[in-house]
Parts: sequence; structure tokens; C-alpha cells
Amino acid sequence: MAAAQGTPQRGGTLTVQINSEQRVLNPAIQASTGVYVMASKMVEPLVDLDAQGEPVGVLAESWESAPDGLTHSFRLRRGVTWHDGKDFTSKDVAFSAMECWKKILNYGTTLYQFLDRVETPDAHTAIFKFSRPMPQGLLLRALPDLGHVIPAHVYEGTDIRANPANTAPIGTGPFKFVQYERGQFLMAERNPNYWRGNGLPYLDRIVWRFIPDRAAGAAAIESGQVQLSPYSSLSLSDIARLSKDPRFTVSTKGNEANTAHTVMEMNLRRQELSDVRVRRALCHALDLEFFIENFLYGYAKLGTGPIPSSSAAFYVPRPAPYPFDRARAERMLDEAGFRRASRGAQRFAQPLKLLPAPWGEYTLNFATFIQQSLREIGVRVEIEARDAPGFLTGVYRDHNFDLTTGWHQYRSDPAVSTTVWFRTGSPVGAPWTNQYGYNNPEMDRVIDAAATELDAGHRKALYQDFVRIAIEDVPVHMAVEHAFISVYSKRLMSSHNTPRWASSSWADVWLAPA
Amino acid sequence: MSPAVRAYLRSPAGMIGLLLLLAVLGAALSAGWLFPRDPLSLAGRPLQWPGQNPRLPLGTDNLGRDIASFIFHGARVSLLIGLAASAVAVGIGVLVGAVAGFYGGWVDDLLMRITEAFQTVPNFILLLVLVAVFGSELSVITVAIGLVGWTAPCRLVRAEFLSLRNREFVLAARGLGMRDARLILGEVLPNALPPVIVYASVVMAVAILLESALAFLGLSDPNIASWGNMIGAGRSVLRAEWYVSAIPGLAILVTVLAFSLVGQGLNDALNPRMQVAA
Repeated sequence: MAAAQGTPQRGGTLTVQINSEQRVLNPAIQASTGVYVMASKMVEPLVDLDAQGEPVGVLAESWESAPDGLTHSFRLRRGVTWHDGKDFTSKDVAFSAMECWKKILNYGTTLYQFLDRVETPDAHTAIFKFSRPMPQGLLLRALPDLGHVIPAHVYEGTDIRANPANTAPIGTGPFKFVQYERGQFLMAERNPNYWRGNGLPYLDRIVWRFIPDRAAGAAAIESGQVQLSPYSSLSLSDIARLSKDPRFTVSTKGNEANTAHTVMEMNLRRQELSDVRVRRALCHALDLEFFIENFLYGYAKLGTGPIPSSSAAFYVPRPAPYPFDRARAERMLDEAGFRRASRGAQRFAQPLKLLPAPWGEYTLNFATFIQQSLREIGVRVEIEARDAPGFLTGVYRDHNFDLTTGWHQYRSDPAVSTTVWFRTGSPVGAPWTNQYGYNNPEMDRVIDAAATELDAGHRKALYQDFVRIAIEDVPVHMAVEHAFISVYSKRLMSSHNTPRWASSSWADVWLAPA
Repeated sequence: MSPAVRAYLRSPAGMIGLLLLLAVLGAALSAGWLFPRDPLSLAGRPLQWPGQNPRLPLGTDNLGRDIASFIFHGARVSLLIGLAASAVAVGIGVLVGAVAGFYGGWVDDLLMRITEAFQTVPNFILLLVLVAVFGSELSVITVAIGLVGWTAPCRLVRAEFLSLRNREFVLAARGLGMRDARLILGEVLPNALPPVIVYASVVMAVAILLESALAFLGLSDPNIASWGNMIGAGRSVLRAEWYVSAIPGLAILVTVLAFSLVGQGLNDALNPRMQVAA
């Protein structure tokens, strides 16, 4: 057993439960944890995060930035080969950046909007030239998610979106693609020529099994068929049950960089909700501590604003902005002119239409909880359940809702994932952006200033203004903050030791003997 | 007492079914009086076991709703859907079946091809399509369930009409100059109705099951206290708190069983051969 604790052992197959399948294994064109959890074992980024959450080179060895923030040079690792045997060079980086990250990748199209070109003076140097200042910190924090490099020789001259390598990736990572059976499994095997050497990777094989049913997922991990269930793929009830089982570890550790908020979005096109007093009153009517303790089994905490407490670079501690106070909520609605004649009467002429996001228990249960809570202050809510495509078009394209629940996934820097929820100008239909008609020119100004501010201190200060305005205007209530929960066998070693571990390469992961 | 009623009272299945149905009906009628609060509201801490809290005899589900209140109010929804949907199904079925069976010829051919078009699509798939297109309000769901269930009563009525339309009493009535509408409604239909009435109870049971299945998938109206909704919600806590799904499941079982047994009782009572034996 002493050996099992300390010395890594070679060999073995790690089987992972995956509960939704995106049918894309190319992280250079689709930024999503559902892609990284599989593809980032085969395709690597320029930079990842180390145990302390600091940028650490993967395919890039080192970097330096010009003081004006317009030029960022990356020195690339030598002696790295693609799985098909060709050499990895700066040409691959330039191709990935200009053709995929800038043109196709979600979030990337905004982040790299002002990336003019990538110069390649030699095979191991890539120089990123921006037309507007790009803070180095922002770029480095974004690259682990938005900086995966794919081989130019495979993609060049093809329709990138339709390239077969999108589902049979060729990368530089520790594991090589073997087989992908839709709806069944994905398999990758050890890459013997992996550039890190030193016997890495330890595992012989990784199999991802697609098990969409949460109950079946719990059965699979209990019977030992899978050793890891990442990203809250089991029901909260089963997670609470397995946390008492000595065979498993249940933890949010290793998911710190994937913090999300469960949110309530309010459509300002609805006359009552265009009044900020009404929006604030609705927030005060939600007893979120009760919700977290009883609906979410305690696996969450109160949200304090659009930047989560896990964001070391930008978070400034603050109290939850809208503490539960039903009497105050009622008073605020009275003051806004929405009185009720009697206790049973309604404050609004028409009920509020709530579209719950079908992203699992957090958003679905939150919708029910909102309905129950607002009923107590005389606001009737009608829930309209829809499937995922119906929800996305209903909310983000047709704006046919008054309230909706949703996920806000924070990705390392507010400019990557969060300011789009508050800035005007998002194209109609773009999911997870400001589609509720919120428009505050002061907010737009702060967001734009922060995105190009090179001084880290000033940037942080600007984002405090951003948080303050977001809380005051509250078009979207960042109600509950939670990290994803991993459930895994105690046999799984050197895991969950970096802030985005499930999305990392797993080169040093090993399995202790059963 | 007519012989049919006496025959029904002598059928044990029919009597058990009737008692169960009365119990469900009683629950539906007393729901507003016993549980005046909205059954969807937060009644207390989620996942309290039955008997744990005297105020909540059947406990709470994972969304903190009072299960007992939900069961009683759910009886209203289930009965409403059962009655309304089977009225739609039988109404359409009788109309189409009667016209097809009475006139025969190309009318019959045309209507039967339409019927077959509906029959070739599995009921539940068609229901899912209708709900996806027209939304999931209670009224829409009721009509949709009626629309997927009319083909069987339709074929039943047509078959009866085919066998009845050339009987002597029909020919005699026609000879007296009776119009088609009166012939169909006044002469043929009353004689064709007994099997339809028996079958209507089956349609009701199926309607309740279809709505529950929709709700289980999260596609029914979430703003009503439907038993299927609670089973669907309870699925995520099935391993530890199985009662959340089991209690409404039992309610569905009892209600569907009640309708089936009543149907069997009616069959015993209305079956002409049984009457001869009696």
C-alpha cells in the first residue's frame, strides 16, 4: 500500500463517465469543458495552469510581451512531434490562432478580435501582433482554454468545421486517438513518443463512456466500471450518498478554475422588470441559503457578484448583495407601484413567464424555487419547460421570456467569459450573452476600458466598478456560486491537483492496484 | 333496476374498480378543502420521509412540496385529463367511424387511409411531436392525447356500423324515408355504442398513463400538480428517497386499475351474450 501512495505505477486503463456528448473533439474550434475533458488528453494548449493557478508553459516554453501590449512572443518547445510523426512548429500555432481561435472558436472570436497576425520568424517562435493593447495577464489566463494547437498540415486547405480530424484528433498530447463510437465510447491509448519523456504518461489507455442517465452513472462508478465521474455528472442525491462511501472521493478540488454561477436572468423588455426596484425586490425574495442547504445539498455558496470568489486575480471579498428579506421585497414592490389589494392578490396583471435552463438539477430546481418564492410576495410565475434547442432559441434569439435560469461559467478572466453578459451589442441569438435588453453606457465604457488596460492594478480596479454596476442594475442575478463536483475512485492517483484538472492532459495520472 | 345495472353489481371486478374510482374521485373533490395551499408551493424542508413530520403525513419531495397535497390535487389533474382526453378521442372516433361505416365506398376508403396514417405512427412519438409544436399547456396536452387515441374507437364504431347498416330495422327505417343523420344518430349509433363505452374506460386509463409519461420526461405542464411530474422530479433521488417516486406511482397504478376494472365491469354488464345467459 505504501507503493500505492507514493510511487507512480505504469499501466492500466482509466474509464471515465461522460454524460453529454458534443460530437466535437477539436478544442481549437469549440471551447467547452465537455470537449476539454476528452480532447485535451490528445490536443495540447500553449499554456496551462499549475497547482497555484499560475500560467505554466505546455507547448510554449516561455513568453514575453512588449510594454505597449501589442506584441506577445512565444518561444515554442523543441522536439515535439504530432501523433502522425510530423514536427510541431510555429506554423501550426499561427494557423490555429488565425484560422480557428480568431474565426471559429466561441469566446475566441471576441478575445482575438484585434489579433492582426501571427509572425513566425523561425520554426520555434510565434509572435502575436494585436492592433489594440492586449493585457498579458488576460492572454495567459485565456490560453489554457482558448489556446489549443492543431496541426496545420492536417487542416490547411480544408473546410475546418467539416474536417474528419475534428472527431479523430491528431495532437501532441500524451494520449493518441484510437476509436470513437457515437453514443458509446471514445478510446485513446498511450503516446510512447510523448515529449515530456520520463515514462510519461503512466496510463496505458483512457476510455470515456457516454452514460447520459445519472442513475446509471452512479451504478457504473459504484460497480467499479468507471473510476471517475467529472463535472457534476451524477445527481446531487447520489453525490451526497457516495460522499459517505470510503471507496470514493467526492470533492470540488481540482475544479476551481471551472466555477459557475446559477443565475436568474430578467428580461428588461417586460415592463415591470424594466424597473430596477422590481428586479432588486425579486432578488431579495429568494432565500438562497435555504435553497443551497436543502436543494443543493450544501454543494454551493452564495454568489457575491459576476466575478466568483475563486478568481484569485480579480475577486475582492464582498457580502452577498441581495440577502433574503421578504418584508423588504414586498415594501420595494409597493414603492415601485405594484401593490396587492389582499394577501391572495397578484401584483402584476400577467404572470411572469419563466423558461428554466435544462442544464440539470441546479437550473431546473432553481426555477421551481423561484416560482415558489415569488408566489409568497404576490408574483405569480408560470414555468414553460423546453428542451435545450427550444430553450436557447426561446431565450437568446426570440427573447420570449420574462425570467430564465441559467449557467454563467467563469473562465479565468472577466473579459473572456463574463463581460458579454452585460455589454450591449451581442448579436441576437448568441447564447450566454446579454439578450435581456440591458443597456447602460457607463457599463459599456468600463468593460471596454478594462479589456485593453495593461496595468494589472488598474484592470482589477476597473473590474470592481464593473461588479458594482452589475450588482446595482442587476439585469442578471448571480445567485449561487458553485464549483463542479468530481466523484472518483480512491485508486485514482495524482489527480485533481491543478485548478482545471479535468481539462488538463492527465500525463502524470496513474491508477493504484485494486 | 335494469338488468345491465344488476349485471354490473354482480361483477366483482367492476365493483372493486368502482370503489377505487370513488376513492380517487373523493381525493379529487376534497383536495381543495383538505389542502387549501397551492400543492406546488414550498411546504417545508425537502426530502422529509413519510411519517417524519406529523404536519406532512406523506413527507416532502426533493423540491420541498407536500406529497400528500400533491397526490390529492394530482387526482384532479389525472381525472380531468382522463375524461377530457377520452371525450376528444371517442368523439372524433365515433364521428369518423360512423360516417365511414355507414356510407362505405370511397368515403370509407378515404377515411380509413387517414386513420391508418395515424395508426402507423406510434402514439407516444406523435404525442411528443404535437407537444413540441404546440407547447405543453394542460389544454394542449389534453387535446393532443385525444388526437393520438381516436383511431381505435374509430375502427370499433366502423365495424359495428358495417354490421348494422344492412340489418332489417335499418332498412325498414330507411324505407320509411328517414334521413341519413337521423338513421345514424337515432337508429344505428345507440346499437353500436356498448363496446365503445367499454373501450372508453381503456382510453381513459391510457390517457392518464400518456400524460404521466410526458410529465416523467419533463414535457408536461410544469405548473400543475401532475403525478408524472413528481415521479420525474423524484428520479434523481431514487436510490435514497425512493418514496418520492413510489407514492405518485402508486396513485397512478390505483387510478389506471380503477378505470380498467370499471371497463371490465361494463363489459360484463353490456355484453349481450352475458345478458342472455343471465
